[in-house]
Amino acid sequence: MTGAGGLLRFMLRRERFALPWWLLGATLLILVQSTQSQGLYDSAEDLANLRQTIGGNTAAVAMSGPTHLLENIGGEVVFEIFAFASIVIALMNMFLVGRHTRADEETGRAELVRSARVGRDATLAAALALAGLADLAVGLLAFAAAAGTGLPAAGSALFGAALAAVGMVFAALTAVAMQVFESARAGYGAVALALGAAFALRAAGDTGNAAFSWASPIGWGQRTFPYVDDRWWPLAVPVAVAALLGAVAMALLGRRDFAAGLVQPRPGRATATAALGSPLGLAWRLQRAALAGWAAGLFLLGVAYGSIGDSIEQYVEDNPQVAEVLPGGAADIVDSYLSFTVVTLALITAAYAVVTALRARGEETSGRTEPVLATATSRAGWLASHLSVAVLGSAVVLAAAGFGEGLAYGLTVSDAGQVPRLVGVALGYLPAVLLVAAVAVLGIGLLPRAAAAVAWVVVAYCAVIALFADSFDVPEWMRRGSPFAHTPLAPLDPLTATPLVVLAVIAVALAAGGYAGLRRRDLGY
Amino acid sequence: MNAQNELAIDVAGLTKSFGRAKALDGLDLAVASGQVHGFLGPNGSGKTTTIRILLGLLRADGGTVRMLGGDPWRDAVALHRRLAYVPGDVNLWPNITGGEVIDLLGRMRGGLDRARRDELLERFDLDPRKKARTYSKGNRQKVALVAALASDAELLLLDEPTSGLDPLMEAQFQQCIHQVKREGRTVLLSSHILAEVEALCDRVSIIRLGRTVESGTLGELRHLTRTSIAVETARPLAGIDALPGVHDLVLEDHHARFDVDTAELDTVVQRLAPLGVRSLTSTPPTLEEMFLRHYGDEETSGAKATAS
Repeated sequence: MTGAGGLLRFMLRRERFALPWWLLGATLLILVQSTQSQGLYDSAEDLANLRQTIGGNTAAVAMSGPTHLLENIGGEVVFEIFAFASIVIALMNMFLVGRHTRADEETGRAELVRSARVGRDATLAAALALAGLADLAVGLLAFAAAAGTGLPAAGSALFGAALAAVGMVFAALTAVAMQVFESARAGYGAVALALGAAFALRAAGDTGNAAFSWASPIGWGQRTFPYVDDRWWPLAVPVAVAALLGAVAMALLGRRDFAAGLVQPRPGRATATAALGSPLGLAWRLQRAALAGWAAGLFLLGVAYGSIGDSIEQYVEDNPQVAEVLPGGAADIVDSYLSFTVVTLALITAAYAVVTALRARGEETSGRTEPVLATATSRAGWLASHLSVAVLGSAVVLAAAGFGEGLAYGLTVSDAGQVPRLVGVALGYLPAVLLVAAVAVLGIGLLPRAAAAVAWVVVAYCAVIALFADSFDVPEWMRRGSPFAHTPLAPLDPLTATPLVVLAVIAVALAAGGYAGLRRRDLGY
Repeated sequence: MNAQNELAIDVAGLTKSFGRAKALDGLDLAVASGQVHGFLGPNGSGKTTTIRILLGLLRADGGTVRMLGGDPWRDAVALHRRLAYVPGDVNLWPNITGGEVIDLLGRMRGGLDRARRDELLERFDLDPRKKARTYSKGNRQKVALVAALASDAELLLLDEPTSGLDPLMEAQFQQCIHQVKREGRTVLLSSHILAEVEALCDRVSIIRLGRTVESGTLGELRHLTRTSIAVETARPLAGIDALPGVHDLVLEDHHARFDVDTAELDTVVQRLAPLGVRSLTSTPPTLEEMFLRHYGDEETSGAKATAS
């Protein structure tokens, strides 16, 4: 353990930018959920109605938690946000531990550290301590967010502790995975798979036999039933499991060589397939895994949104006064809900499109564009190959989101026609999404060093306008600046071609400007 | 058009600045077709910048650049079909195997010779099935080398291609370049390994601070430097210090040690002969001395020579 303290301080310093964002994101999730739920269901009557509508909706329960939580408002907040917050916190722990252990070993940075007066197990111990500190912060922040918005202090403390405990399980699990696999990427894949399984098991437990939930770390956290039963004893399970996994990781570390894993990586292909023979083939090969991940993620989010569409309708039928404050009234309540959720899905897709377009710049700055452009590949061809992924990939992600939402909503109302309808609605946002990506392309051509910052500011601006313009009385001209404000709010409003064509033309013009800039400038700077 | 143009690369008065930093300051470079041309200079002297301009990745600020009869910036794609490039710092896609990278780069250039590819993999002892993230620096360099050498490009631009290779692989590399030369292809070889330069290059250009300071065959360059002489004569050595081209003289009656400009060697030896030479050793300048003189500041290297 020699040197672990110094390493921990160094890790904290390396994480000084990324970690606060994770913590802020997790806190905001709870803060927003708590305020929203307390605003929506402010009486015991409202909660009873909710129990009836949501409790009978298997899809909604599968996406959230055990219905026993719906006994009071604090429990309702936990019901809605715990599983989702667990995913965020598990990912935070996974990256924290992976980045400072196996990823450093892969790049060779750890070799320098290990050559110093540092124990073999110091790095792993410091990484686990780092994750522990992060989880402690998660617990305290969750407590502050919940108690600060008026929920009972005792339940809030348990809520925070349960989230932190789930985080520690995934930190320790990652520690084991990083010993088993030679590459951090493979380790992340295994942990993500385990996280998916944890979510699926608790979904099975909450909709059917509760025994399944007891096989899931997320289930252990949820079944403390904060605010409702306030029982602490289930947390003994994640604490014990985390300690056991941590010990296993340490034991494995002591038995393996530096940079080696327990699983030999499979050798890859000795020759390239016919598909990998052009810049286009390369761009798709590099980005296909990310595309699959985003499409799957947005499909699931679509399912989550779609699954409660029907409950929204029932809830409004039981509470007619709610309809009065919603645009369109009771008749359009579901369409209004669907419109709003599809905009949210489209905004996330815009983030995907920006990440994908900026990949071209990432390739350039990492020096991997140089050997490509030293072949008979033009700059236009190189840029276009990456943009083809952004364009087609965005369409695929939007369609997956619309498909998920249409499928889940269609199943709950027994109407297969919802699938093509919502896929169409989602694809209506393609021009707006591509316009945002085109801003990134313009940046790559004209202001390469500022491209990422400019593009992300545009994404943030569109998100703020779309999600908060109504609540904050944003001036009309600011609202008109967002391409999403120009896309008809389908299915609430009819989809018309003109604005979509105009958005597409602007997107093409911006991308052309970016290409013109790229043709003139030095590469790699 | 190449037949009319004897020079594969013809650069004159090339300038390039990055902000205020001047990377190239009137660089000249002439590489004859079919020759292996050494490109030497200390780190940061502008070798990589020159090669990147030749590849059309950077735009020249001033001067003229012609390569294979074309303009490297305007005709980049057409020219790249006829050349292969090995970067000094090989960055590969971590999740793609070496074999895939070789095929990919070859196909994007317009096809590669599969038999030669497999022979080169064998020769450089490279496992093509490993993901690029697991390769060491030397192995990444081998991937780029195999991709370049397996092509039938008429011009090879090699930027310190062997800095990560072991001596065994270095020998294989030299054999490959000899083969390339026999096939009448042209090579621009930037290198710090002087033995490699001596073994492979027909001509050499030395650059410093973005400017060409010397260019010619190794023989010609040697001629421009000094030879060390130690001599013992029957009659006292007098008036040696007055001879042109003699430096750093250490004189003791019948013994003398000094350096002489190689161009003046003949004159000096003729003046020594009548004094009755009893012994004479002449040491030609080593490559290291030659390059140190050009790399370093002229005055400091002179001072070092006196001290030693």
